[in-house]
Amino acid sequence: MALVNWFKRRLVVISGLLTLGYLLLPNVVVTVFSFNQPKGRFNYEWQEFSTAAWTDPCGVADLCGSLSLSLQLAASATLGATVLGTMIAFALVRYRFRARGAVNSLIFLPMAMPEVVMAASLLTLFLNLGAQLGFWTILIAHIMFCLSFVVVAVKARVMSMDPRLEEAARDLYAGPVQTFVRVTLPIAAPGIAAGALLAFALSFDDFIITNFNAGSAVTFPMFVWGSAQRGTPVQINVIGTAMFLVAVLFVVAGMVVTNRRKKQKA
Amino acid sequence: MTSKKSTENGSGDVRLSGIGKTYGSFTAVHPLDLTVPEGSFFALLGASGCGKTTTLRMIAGLEEPSCGTVSLGDQDVTNLPPYKRPVNTVFQSYALFPHLDIFENVAFGLRRRGIKGVKKQVEEMLELVQLGEQARKKPHQLSGGQQQRVAVARALINHPKVLLLDEPLGALDLKLRRQMQLELKRIQTEVGITFIHVTHDQEEAMTMADTVAVMNAGRVEQLGSPADLYENPHTTFVANFLGTSNLIEAEVDSVSGEEIVLKAGDVKLVLPEARCGAPTRTGGKILVGVRPEKITLTHADDAGEIPAGRNRITGTVAATSFIGVSTQYVIDSSVCPEFEVYVQNIDRDTRLVPGAEVVLHWNPAHTFGLDAAQSLLAGTAGSAGVEEEAAV
Repeated sequence: MALVNWFKRRLVVISGLLTLGYLLLPNVVVTVFSFNQPKGRFNYEWQEFSTAAWTDPCGVADLCGSLSLSLQLAASATLGATVLGTMIAFALVRYRFRARGAVNSLIFLPMAMPEVVMAASLLTLFLNLGAQLGFWTILIAHIMFCLSFVVVAVKARVMSMDPRLEEAARDLYAGPVQTFVRVTLPIAAPGIAAGALLAFALSFDDFIITNFNAGSAVTFPMFVWGSAQRGTPVQINVIGTAMFLVAVLFVVAGMVVTNRRKKQKA
Repeated sequence: MTSKKSTENGSGDVRLSGIGKTYGSFTAVHPLDLTVPEGSFFALLGASGCGKTTTLRMIAGLEEPSCGTVSLGDQDVTNLPPYKRPVNTVFQSYALFPHLDIFENVAFGLRRRGIKGVKKQVEEMLELVQLGEQARKKPHQLSGGQQQRVAVARALINHPKVLLLDEPLGALDLKLRRQMQLELKRIQTEVGITFIHVTHDQEEAMTMADTVAVMNAGRVEQLGSPADLYENPHTTFVANFLGTSNLIEAEVDSVSGEEIVLKAGDVKLVLPEARCGAPTRTGGKILVGVRPEKITLTHADDAGEIPAGRNRITGTVAATSFIGVSTQYVIDSSVCPEFEVYVQNIDRDTRLVPGAEVVLHWNPAHTFGLDAAQSLLAGTAGSAGVEEEAAV
């Protein structure tokens, strides 16, 4: 009876921890196997501990090249999608124009469309236009599918913004540019940052659309997919773990900064 | 219009000439002329949707007038954008910048005008509104009253020619509002800047302003000092919106010298001619008004003690409510179904309970007369257009 009660009282904590475990277990596997020394070409069974892959992350041909291409693509796509998406979000919230309602719904369409269909259609489009497949076609495709997510993130923020704040800025001698830079942009920044992060993650991760429109270029996800046919180098796990660590580092740094600010004010 | 600090040539007056605003077919503000003397505390009073905020926003430049001009002193500012007008606003929701701390909020206007070394000025301004300690906090960490003071400081630091206040106290609770009313009045006296204050709270307008303009349905109904508006309302709207008025429909019986004698049913009332704002001719209708606190209530048993020459009405007590300093009575009488009377609680007559026969009487000098060709109920809480503005 006592045990049941103990369990009941901690039900929320226990289920929370279990869910967290469910989320993190795959990452743990990736990390653990980055220290593996596989016998054959496949890194699917634990053999023995080794840091060989960590000391030589670029030891596999083409891996670091594909990683660099993916990072460049993600950075460019993030920049393009964030700038365009932010402008679209502002236009949709702030201005009344013909077909505003239609644009509002159409912007969600790329999110709803099956990715593989979009990938094939994009390829058709590029071929008919005579475009040469490669970095630029991938970039155009990435900006396109990241846009919707940025718009959604920024729009939510802009909608919750009090228009009186900008009136107050204009009332306090700030011209249109100053008002935008000093008030509008800083207040919308969290939404824009969220959109940008989402765009980066989506672009870096994308396989299907990229694979259709890459031509001879090979991004990191394509490299992993390709090598999985022939054998998986441990370096893939190293890169994955490193990305995970960088992301965690960012989150922790952000939390530390916020906490310190709070303490200063208190 | 009078103001203690008004300069002879009115070089800093705010002048609105024929200014109006229409949205499509809806007229928010009918073309109006208004002069606010330099250094005065001016209130625009009215119910929500009467056009007072639109008028204020046109002075700030946040709203473009459909017609007319706005001048500050000798300068026509009608076509100037808000950031080029020497006018600052305290917004209803304060509109403090959430991403900046209190210091930077207050310094905002100075920095935008490229003024260097703002630290001393900002600190002095924060002292003036008693927020020196809070300089490095963010707006959301302050209480409503403190945020309100930051909004005032942020506007005042720019030494505007005119400070506009858009329902600045609407979001505060009653006690704090009283305190801030006095505080704002103190600041205004100290800095001597013209304040234009928009409010739907008649008590607030009367407490703070030198001059009050009562607005209704996009027009200025009456303009004057609080006491003048209260004692001599020109319309039923003003009579009912500023405090409470008992209005009786009466017929002119005779006009003799400076007195008008009126008949309402079998009751005879006297009204000084000077206080009648309507044309008088024998047999014509007039609305007779008297404020609830001017009336004395005497139990019918003591009716003989009432001095002669006073206006008298008999009735029965319908309801009483005790509110500490005074007691409010509602009296049923033949001429007016719900006559309101406020009696100071000095010596309470315990016989004045519901059902008691009473005589209402007052000095005829406290009677005012209004044109009968208007609604008796204009400006009362129940009539259209007067609803409490939702605190946004």
